[in-house]
Amino acid sequence: MSEPTSVNTPKPSSSVKLVLLGEAAVGKSSLVLRFVNNDFQENKEPTIGAAFLTQKCSLPTRTIKFEIWDTAGQERFASLAPMYYRNAQAALVVYDVTKPSSLTKAKHWVAELQRQASPGIVIALVGNKLDLTNDGSGDIQTDAERESAEGDDVGNNQEEQEDSIPGDARKVSTREASTYAEEEGLLFFETSAKTGLNVVDVFTAIANAIPESSLKSGRGAGAGTGQTTLGGGRSTDDSRVNLGDRGAATAKEGCAC
Amino acid sequence: MMQWSSLVQKAQSFIDPANFNIPNLTSSADRNPSKASLFRQQFRLPDSQNPLQEITAELVLSLPHTLSSTSSSQSQNVDRSGNRYAGRLHLSERFICFSTQPTSFLPSATLSASTYWAGQTNGTGPSGNGFTIPLCSIRRVERLNSLSHVFSLALTTWNGALGKKQAPGFVPQRFTLELVGSRQACERFCDSLKKNLRESMREIEQLRSLVNDCYSEYLLSGAKSKSQAPDAPDSRPPPDAGLGMLFRYPGDARKLRDRSKMRLWGEYFRENGRNATLLRQPTFHKLIRVGLPNRLRGEIWEAASGSLYLRLRSPNLYTETLSKFEGQESLAIDEIEKDLNRSLPEYAGYQSEEGIGRLRRVLTAYSWTNAEIGYCQAMNIVVAALLIYMSEPQAFFLLSVLCDRLVPGYYSTTMYGTLLDQKVFESLVEKTMPVLWEHLGKSDVQLSVVSLPWFLSLYINSMPLVFAFRVLDVFFLEGPKVLFQVGLAILRINGEELLEVQDDGSFISVLKSYFSRLDESAHPRSENAKLRAITRFQELMVVAFKEFSQITHQTIIDQRDKHKDAVLDNIESFAKRTSIRNLGPDSKKLGMEDLGAVYDRYYEILYNYQQRQNLLEEEKRQQEKKRSERISVIGPSVDREVGRVGLGPSPTHMDYNAFREFLAATAKWAMADSPGPSRKESAAEPYTNSFRGFGRPSSVLNSRPAPANHEFMQRLFQKWAADPAEGLSLQDVVSGIARLKGPRDIMNNISYFFDLYDDSGSGKVDREGILRMSEALLFLSRRGFEGTITPSQSTDDLILGKNGLEEKVSTGERFLGSVSSFIRRCFEYADPTNKGMEEEKAAAETADKLGSFSIGDDEDDLIDVGDDDVKSGSSTPTPQITTPETSSAEPIDNAQRVRSTSESANPALDPNNPLHITLPTFRMVILADELLEQFFDAYFPQSFHLSAHGAAAIPLPSLSSNLTTFSNIGAAKPYAGAGASATVAGASGGIVPPNRGLRGVLDNIVSDGIRMAAEVKKRMDEAQRDLERNALNRDDDEEEDEEDDGPHATTPAMVGGISSWGAGAYGADPERRSVRDTDRDLLEGAEVVNIRGRDEPSSLLDDSDGQQSGERTDSNRDKVVSKVEFES
Repeated sequence: MSEPTSVNTPKPSSSVKLVLLGEAAVGKSSLVLRFVNNDFQENKEPTIGAAFLTQKCSLPTRTIKFEIWDTAGQERFASLAPMYYRNAQAALVVYDVTKPSSLTKAKHWVAELQRQASPGIVIALVGNKLDLTNDGSGDIQTDAERESAEGDDVGNNQEEQEDSIPGDARKVSTREASTYAEEEGLLFFETSAKTGLNVVDVFTAIANAIPESSLKSGRGAGAGTGQTTLGGGRSTDDSRVNLGDRGAATAKEGCAC
Repeated sequence: MMQWSSLVQKAQSFIDPANFNIPNLTSSADRNPSKASLFRQQFRLPDSQNPLQEITAELVLSLPHTLSSTSSSQSQNVDRSGNRYAGRLHLSERFICFSTQPTSFLPSATLSASTYWAGQTNGTGPSGNGFTIPLCSIRRVERLNSLSHVFSLALTTWNGALGKKQAPGFVPQRFTLELVGSRQACERFCDSLKKNLRESMREIEQLRSLVNDCYSEYLLSGAKSKSQAPDAPDSRPPPDAGLGMLFRYPGDARKLRDRSKMRLWGEYFRENGRNATLLRQPTFHKLIRVGLPNRLRGEIWEAASGSLYLRLRSPNLYTETLSKFEGQESLAIDEIEKDLNRSLPEYAGYQSEEGIGRLRRVLTAYSWTNAEIGYCQAMNIVVAALLIYMSEPQAFFLLSVLCDRLVPGYYSTTMYGTLLDQKVFESLVEKTMPVLWEHLGKSDVQLSVVSLPWFLSLYINSMPLVFAFRVLDVFFLEGPKVLFQVGLAILRINGEELLEVQDDGSFISVLKSYFSRLDESAHPRSENAKLRAITRFQELMVVAFKEFSQITHQTIIDQRDKHKDAVLDNIESFAKRTSIRNLGPDSKKLGMEDLGAVYDRYYEILYNYQQRQNLLEEEKRQQEKKRSERISVIGPSVDREVGRVGLGPSPTHMDYNAFREFLAATAKWAMADSPGPSRKESAAEPYTNSFRGFGRPSSVLNSRPAPANHEFMQRLFQKWAADPAEGLSLQDVVSGIARLKGPRDIMNNISYFFDLYDDSGSGKVDREGILRMSEALLFLSRRGFEGTITPSQSTDDLILGKNGLEEKVSTGERFLGSVSSFIRRCFEYADPTNKGMEEEKAAAETADKLGSFSIGDDEDDLIDVGDDDVKSGSSTPTPQITTPETSSAEPIDNAQRVRSTSESANPALDPNNPLHITLPTFRMVILADELLEQFFDAYFPQSFHLSAHGAAAIPLPSLSSNLTTFSNIGAAKPYAGAGASATVAGASGGIVPPNRGLRGVLDNIVSDGIRMAAEVKKRMDEAQRDLERNALNRDDDEEEDEEDDGPHATTPAMVGGISSWGAGAYGADPERRSVRDTDRDLLEGAEVVNIRGRDEPSSLLDDSDGQQSGERTDSNRDKVVSKVEFES
């Protein structure tokens, strides 16, 4: 389980703790799922506490192993967040481009991180569900898939209907968010976990933004022994360890007692 | 004995029987477990139950039950051959309970007493042998003719007899209890039992419907076999045993040996009764440990957790709740909708509308009954799991038992229960597996990151469902310690692998792979076939309950107690940080320190206030109970610790009264001048000691000055509140203050003030408003200016407070003059309004107001500073009332003269001349006066003290000895009665000067009542006028003064006066009274003072006192008000 990483990689490897924060159902888990497994699920179980996943990201000069903490979005779980962003070197603060309130919440998170998290934390502001807007519509494959990234946002049904009038469910302008990101010195992206648009770019940008000095050499290989080249789409075996997920386990439930 | 218990019962029936969601059972268990709460936890009874009687007893069960004869003489013999259990027998209002576990509840069980009681299963639940039987299910109690030293009772229950049709050869359940105790004690128990049995009888119908919903009833009634023959006339569908009946139960029924488990349970039920009348014998616990059969699982969960008894008490609550709130929306419902599709999505039932619908309804109904919790992610998973085995109402009640009792605080808005139990778990790991603990520490692995979801979703989300349900089987019977035992066992079993783990990731991965292999053999390579057959899950259960058997309920309680404060502190500081950060743009104008101070003060007051309200309510309820001697036991189950943000659902809005307290702690002017009405709540004060969490000793709170009540404060409240009906949120308060205390900006402050009085939003303030403004100016300034206002003559002395009294007096007087000239100028520069309406009223009111400014100044002889001093001191221009008035010897003549003079002197007072001022005018008038300018520039914003060195800490400038006297009045007991009777008079009394409104209410009522009464009497009795006037003037003097020190003298005069006045005035002016009555209702009677400020003109005529003290010369007015100002 804990073989040294260097066995597989000639490049220096280091692990980076990354935490995802944001309002409920903005698509945090979906972003991670897309990044780690290049997969998308309509009905993801809500994250209880936090899910932990790893994924490697290969840069020209080094390999970064992301240890991703995907946190629960419901408001009352916020008090648990410090447990997860403790020692984090990077954070992805996610909002939903179709939901202005989620940007407000994202700003709260940014402020919280700037004050409470480890100094020098790299924060990326990510507007998800771009597939619901005109900008992202080119990437939408089928109508059936034109649901929200989380697939559970009630408001989206209505917005979908509006889509027929070459409408745009976007409620948060790129400019507004990017201006804010600029002010606060954040990386900024708009993504679609559903289509995969920009998802990998976010993580690459973060990997690049982590100052060399703050990188510790990989502390044990951890769970993700399979290596995935960035955006390669091959899922790491067992790298996805969702605390709140029972899926794999239940498949084998037919056992005697 | 009988008497009190009947009282208790009567009282009990007043209380909502469905009162099961009293939050935070924890704290009662954590801090101060009362006997009653331990009792309820032990037997899983509803919160309405209290231990009434207890006695040592032996339970005698015949074996097997069905073979025993019903004849009592024979049963005697049979019983002798059955199982005997020694234990304690308890009686509550509706239940009789027996347990072999040590369950002695000392009558005085407080914290110490109950630790004495701590047995291995202290309050854990019904783990011993015995029963918890609703009294209504007892059919007959016989006293057996036994040996003289044994007192035995034979109980026959309705077990099995409530169905439509009884099975052939039906034998009623019957068992014997042998009471051990003095004959007296036994008799007492029996009497109480008899009485409560009688009371409970009418609940039999509820029991019948409950029982008929139970699968066990169906199973044993033989209906199951009959229903296979479709023609059977009375075949009925099986009761709802969860979604599993429609969508299959998880797991392979054969592998789970469901059929043989069912058979075993059937046998057990036949011998020991079922559902409500189930007796616990050792087999019961064994059968639960091996896992429940699918169709009985829900029912046994219900019985073991006690949710059955909740359902018995209010069988229709679930459906009623749903229909009551049908169609309504809430935040919780939005959140629930988001998660419906992602709750156990791989179970077939939740891919159908049927399953989703049930889940939605149960979660929604619960969110309505417990709005404090509402909905928390993870509840969806738990409820989804429950619904596989239970009907909707069953799941609903079980969920409430979960949230209230089994995992308290887990799903609350702060999730403090979750965090607390994580701390407890960590400390248990440290204690039981020190090596692993140390390793985790070294590798920087945070255990709770892994274990939190275990607890929060009761392992449902971590283990394969079949195993999670096995854990739940035991959990519902034995309580939260099971979660800890299982968690510890998981770590111990995986200990070796975990010791090699270096980071979070591999830690999680080890455990995940363990969970996925729970069904595999624990000893795959063993040669012993039996050993090989043991699964990892079985191993887990054994380790959990054998190796960690030392983890008891008491362990958990002790640990929770130990860590509670730290956890709550953490949550609170987090909440504070977050909250302050998110207060919006306005908050940026205030410094962090100030924001922190506002936050602390806001919540401190809000919680305190709420707590006092709760306690008052509680007290009221207790009074209904007539304070029987058992009050300490029935006592307030109110959570003494609600006053913590960390405990969860925080109140988010303060009402006007709480806001007054907030202001009083913030600004000096908002303090009442005397112990106000809030002192009547002093009964609650002992409890404020339990208020913690803001790092302030409660003594500070207790000594907090009572808040004043002034129209200005109401206006602030209205202005600040985004939605006044809802109250003030923290954000409202911060924005409100920030706009004032932001960058120093006099123009902003002036327009802010103006807006407060611009009721119509039209940018105009009418005559009435102008007067109110000036009233407010006086109100705000009555406690001095804290050195922020400096008349130009004394500009050198920047800090007035350090100057002598004389200097201060003069500033105050000057300010008074400024206010007078403010009024004058306002009228002078006002624009005419062309409204012909209601002018009479306005004008008359104006007159009132003008008069009222100077009220309270007829106590010349009380003023230390001489007249001359004052007059010379007030160099400010005198307002419209120009008649010099130096004597108060002839109040009425004097007043009339002044009144007429003033009316003719100022056209603004002409009722036919409506007018208004606009903001520019207002600004000009303010800026025209040096003091007013300073007032708005510095004093007004600075009078709000925020950070620690704020107003609350500023001692009142108690320069005057009168102050002491004043507070004496408030404390003077004899006055309470007078105050009460005077309320009526006071409420509809005549003119009250503005500074009246500044007073504490109680003494105001008293003294005003006295004054009014006396005045009326005086008028009625012209002949004695001179004589009385002398006496009364002195009284008046004393009473009218803020520092009233002479009420004792007036008492006799008052008594006669009030009655005569009361009859006359009410009769004469019904309209006025009605107006006031409504107002008074609004303000709950206490805030009479303020209302009196707007008295209608007619009262002038009735009330000579208004005139007398109303029309004064300025010099006099200055003198007196300033007096008030500096001495109170």
